[in-house]
Amino acid sequence: MESLVKLSFYCFAAGSIAVAASWVSYVLFTIGRVRLRQAELQTSAGTTVRASKAEFAPGWTSAGRFGSMMAWFGVVMMGLSVIFRTAASHRGPYSNMYEFSLAFVFVLLLIYLLFERFYEVKQLGVIVLTIAGAMCLYIWSLPSYMREVDALNPALQNRPLMTVHVSSAILAYATFAVSFAAAILYLIQVRKNVSWLPSADMLDDIGYRAVTVGFPLLALVLILGSVWAHEAWGAYWSWDPKETAALFTWLVYGVYLHTRTLRGWRGERSAYVLLFGFAAVVFTYYGNYFFGGMHAYGGVN
Amino acid sequence: MAQATVDTRGSRRSPLEMVVDRIWRFFCSVRAAVVEIIILAVLVLLGTLRGSDAPQWLADAIPATQPAVDWLYDWDVFHSLPLMLILGVLCVAIVVCTLNRVPGIWKTIVDPTIRTNRSFLENAELSAAYQSAAAPAAAVGELSESLQKHRYRVLHEERGADIHLYADKNRYAKLGTFPFHLALILILLGGIVGARYGFREMTFVVPEGSVREVGHGTGLSVELIQFIDSWREEGIPSEYRSDLVIWKNGEKVKEGTITVNNPISYDNVTFYQSSYGQAAAFRITDTDGNLLFDDSIPLGQYTAVNNPDAPAGLQQLPQIGSQLNVIGQDQDPQNAPELDDLQLENGQMFLQLRQTADDGSVEILTGVVDPGETIQLGSVNIEYLREKRFTLMQVASNPGIPIFFAASFLLVAGLAVTFYFPHRRIRGIIGPGSDQTGSRVLMAPLARWDWSGQRDFRRIIERIETESRIAVTINERPREHAASRSESAADASE
Repeated sequence: MESLVKLSFYCFAAGSIAVAASWVSYVLFTIGRVRLRQAELQTSAGTTVRASKAEFAPGWTSAGRFGSMMAWFGVVMMGLSVIFRTAASHRGPYSNMYEFSLAFVFVLLLIYLLFERFYEVKQLGVIVLTIAGAMCLYIWSLPSYMREVDALNPALQNRPLMTVHVSSAILAYATFAVSFAAAILYLIQVRKNVSWLPSADMLDDIGYRAVTVGFPLLALVLILGSVWAHEAWGAYWSWDPKETAALFTWLVYGVYLHTRTLRGWRGERSAYVLLFGFAAVVFTYYGNYFFGGMHAYGGVN
Repeated sequence: MAQATVDTRGSRRSPLEMVVDRIWRFFCSVRAAVVEIIILAVLVLLGTLRGSDAPQWLADAIPATQPAVDWLYDWDVFHSLPLMLILGVLCVAIVVCTLNRVPGIWKTIVDPTIRTNRSFLENAELSAAYQSAAAPAAAVGELSESLQKHRYRVLHEERGADIHLYADKNRYAKLGTFPFHLALILILLGGIVGARYGFREMTFVVPEGSVREVGHGTGLSVELIQFIDSWREEGIPSEYRSDLVIWKNGEKVKEGTITVNNPISYDNVTFYQSSYGQAAAFRITDTDGNLLFDDSIPLGQYTAVNNPDAPAGLQQLPQIGSQLNVIGQDQDPQNAPELDDLQLENGQMFLQLRQTADDGSVEILTGVVDPGETIQLGSVNIEYLREKRFTLMQVASNPGIPIFFAASFLLVAGLAVTFYFPHRRIRGIIGPGSDQTGSRVLMAPLARWDWSGQRDFRRIIERIETESRIAVTINERPREHAASRSESAADASE
């Protein structure tokens, strides 16, 4: 078992390097090339004035391709890390923040790459890989004892429900991260009108589509959590802080969908709601650090 | 003329009708619904923060906020009137809004407006036009065939020399909004039914070898045969297990084992493993030998004043108007030893008998007893049989659960249908060609601000180009110049 845990960690380390390499490549691809054009102008007084002008051009296509390749390599490594950890613990890797975050990085990369293929845009990668990179740093910062495989405490001993409940949460958070990335790029695009960034309409659509995946998944998280709570605690809803934080997040995205589909909100207003929604996701994700209640496990208290 | 007609109708309406109309419109308003959801979200956020240390961090950083933070910690948001009110308003809004949308959505499904106008199509954000060698009727047939291959329903009607076309797919997905919103109401209804017709005992304690009545008119009693806790080497609990027998009106009806996550049920009453603790078995008789008590007293449910860390329990003895308080040994070396003025040795119990006389005066008798020993306190003999353990269960009966599960299914199914089967629509006009031969086809998707919808339309056009070998001109107009009013009008009925 110990060797599998070590193998899982080495795969995570390799995946972290791939994420870093992918992030650099996506940055090079997205920010484009800057050319400084200089011109000497003759004034009426007979003097010359040197004028400089920065011109932006699309980034290297090869950098984008390498970024995608590294991101796929990262997915494979993180996936192997998750598989080895699952094999070592005989359950899904969801019992503490180390395992949860490891699985989150894997799913985030995978969901992003699916969006990249579907929409054929790579520029989102610069934001999504920043989040993935930050998550890798967070995982590295966790105390080393969390890398050990511990037995589940009795409250968590429900493998089927834990697997689907937590997996749904990871999937939902990952899609919301993609919608956040789309919202950021949207706001840049409408303010700077960058020609080689994806069109504002496409970014707006990516944000919406990601939420249409994440919103039902978060509903599923709440429902499966309720079913589990019913089996373990005798009540399907206990107003536990983690439950209510997830409900708050769900309501924020509910506002986004209602304002968009029924009030016709598009563009900047919708993008700001997405930014706020992702802040709620982060609040819920890291809630274990400051929430009490029945979700106060995960190795952080 | 039209203005006069409206005024006349308005003047005929009674004040009651106008009030009802205004209330109806308030509950139909999407803007009001959004505000209601935001208020609910803010209340939920406040309640969430209340369950965390975050507000206190704020108060520590900014002392001026301490009163507000204290107020927040004191306010039980989730059982407060504002939360109940906003949930009630949202429920009514969901019902009214849904009823209001039914006719429009139903019309879109069964009898959509086919007629459109050339101006709308020409000014749409995205449109497509092509010349066909076939006459308009034949061109409509070809186009319909192409669209039907993409699962579109195609409707058309002749208007003069032109044929107006309407095509859509996934029209029944528009109904997905109803199960979703019905589910939200059912979830609240499930909660109300559970609270009204069910019960939940948070601390149902049964010592080993004892039987306890469930109450609440169930006729059920539970006997704990044994409690077992197992631990791993590293000191982590691996399992809490209670072996139970369930009795109904004195008859054994079920036996089984419960662990955390694995409750057992009988007659819609469910027993959940929650915790466990220490108990002490006593046999208490009066001086005449009459049995007053022969059972176990769970410890840890109360705290003793003289040592708050020691496990304590109490038992009423109504036959003699007394209460027996029992305090066990504080076995945790981490606890403050200076508070432990009992200094019990291993296995000993401190007993305190509070006898209330007829005049209301209370006599307190105390003593320490070892396992297997009998002690006389006043008029009673108390035999401490042995140490035992108790199981702490939650017992609940919730008839709202089936409603909740049905609602959950409707909620997820409704969302999936709504989001993953988007209603796509195309409008078109097929008229005679400019030289009166063949026909000219002009069509546009109802997909303003809808990148995916426009992409679907482009894909269909590409297929038509390939299949029919005709050149199609795609027209794009910047959004600020594109027709929004016409499309909004077309959508208004839905």
